[in-house]
Amino acid sequence: MSLVGIESMNVFGGTAYLDVAELARHRKLDSARFENLLMKQKTVALPYEDPVTFAVNAAKPVVDALTPAEKDRIELLITCTESGIDFGKSLGTYVHHCLGLNRNCRQFEIKQACYSGTAGFQMAVNFVLSKVSPGAKALIVATDISRFMVAEGGSALTEDWSFAEPSGGAGAVALLVSNRPHVFQVDVGANGYYGYEVMDTCRPMPDAEAGDADLSLLSYLDCCENAFLEYRKRVDGVHYRDSFQYLTFHTPFGGMVKGAHRTMMRKMVQAKPAEIEEDFHRRVVPGMSYCQRVGNIMGATVFLSLASTIDNAHVAGPARVGCFSYGSGCCSEFYSGVMTPDSQARQRRFAIKRQLDGRYALSMEEYEAILRGSGGVKFGVRNVRPDTGFISGAYESGRGKGRLYLREIKEFHREYEWSS
Amino acid sequence: MMTKAEILELIAKSTREIIPGLEGHVFKASDQLSELGANSVDRAEITMMVQESLALTIPRVELTGPKNIGELAELFFAKLKRA
Repeated sequence: MSLVGIESMNVFGGTAYLDVAELARHRKLDSARFENLLMKQKTVALPYEDPVTFAVNAAKPVVDALTPAEKDRIELLITCTESGIDFGKSLGTYVHHCLGLNRNCRQFEIKQACYSGTAGFQMAVNFVLSKVSPGAKALIVATDISRFMVAEGGSALTEDWSFAEPSGGAGAVALLVSNRPHVFQVDVGANGYYGYEVMDTCRPMPDAEAGDADLSLLSYLDCCENAFLEYRKRVDGVHYRDSFQYLTFHTPFGGMVKGAHRTMMRKMVQAKPAEIEEDFHRRVVPGMSYCQRVGNIMGATVFLSLASTIDNAHVAGPARVGCFSYGSGCCSEFYSGVMTPDSQARQRRFAIKRQLDGRYALSMEEYEAILRGSGGVKFGVRNVRPDTGFISGAYESGRGKGRLYLREIKEFHREYEWSS
Repeated sequence: MMTKAEILELIAKSTREIIPGLEGHVFKASDQLSELGANSVDRAEITMMVQESLALTIPRVELTGPKNIGELAELFFAKLKRA
């Protein structure tokens, strides 16, 4: 049997966060409607944080846990993002440099909206399975930050801002993929993929997002159903309720996952409301905890949910997890793997919850200052030195944690430094 | 086959189930779901409920675009005719 999957995985949920209930009050959103979002906090990127710093801060603990010989076996680095900083040079070049990886390593960046993390992961799984370089490892880092600006004008593509703002987060997840799948053993060949062209949400301009919330939701649901149906076609005896002890979803916001789960349970299992509610709490909620605290981190979100599932599940023996990934535009996939009590013990060493607990709480005034773009780095900036004194409390909170920050952009070249 | 008026009534029934407080509301073709208090998750849910009641098997993404429930009823009617 071919063993492949996640050897280790870490999440970086940023330096600072905002309480989104406070944001909802500030924006005067209807409180009952807001609660249906099922969101609690969201990570906000500071001016000296970019997709590279998020990626490196997620991957560093994973790489540091390896021996030098093991680290040198990382022969593939894929960065997965929709928050690119250059049309040609991939952000992986900086990640490779900051992590000090072997130069005999293939590296590139990929994009397919929120599906990018799964795309990278599946490429890594196939690289390991191919055994073209036996024993080689792959490092996959999905990293994204929200663009705060929304494309204005036009009638069709206008974001439902009341949803987009509280749910858009920032963060990264790093996965070490190898033939030692201690954390998540992939069910080889158990993949249902499904996609087509649709203009639901996109980033058609350097620093802005556009989207049609209704179209995106319906497309997500179409894919959730059809990707699973394709999976079921390929895997004998699959049952939506009984084959998976846990389910993880790409989580734009919790309320959307709750709706998707309800639809799937109704259509696939003909379940009644009480059964759906119980099933949701048992199989889905463990994977929502981190997503509710970080927000939507696009390509990394499905793995943020997987990490949350592994950390928060009751794992008495091997347990199968079904994963649904969706990226606007669109491409989606339903796949699965197995975790064990050992997976949980290994995963908990990265103390992700403690890391999230240690973030700096932004006030509304500080958040608004970030929104106004004070000291922010826009796409295409040639020279800038972000002010680490901007919201100094946040910068101070990262001290002693060995964090990477953006020090300067000099003639387009990004220079980073580790916090002391 | 259902008439447009019957489809509109089906939309009204589904909307009442999803959005509380509309029991006494008299639905008109010009009503917009968002103005009745439905957010995007609610709107998807209402559309799917109607679709399931009509046993219409088409991609859900084909059901976006209408600006009010009258237009949504028209769209369902057209899809049913083609089904």
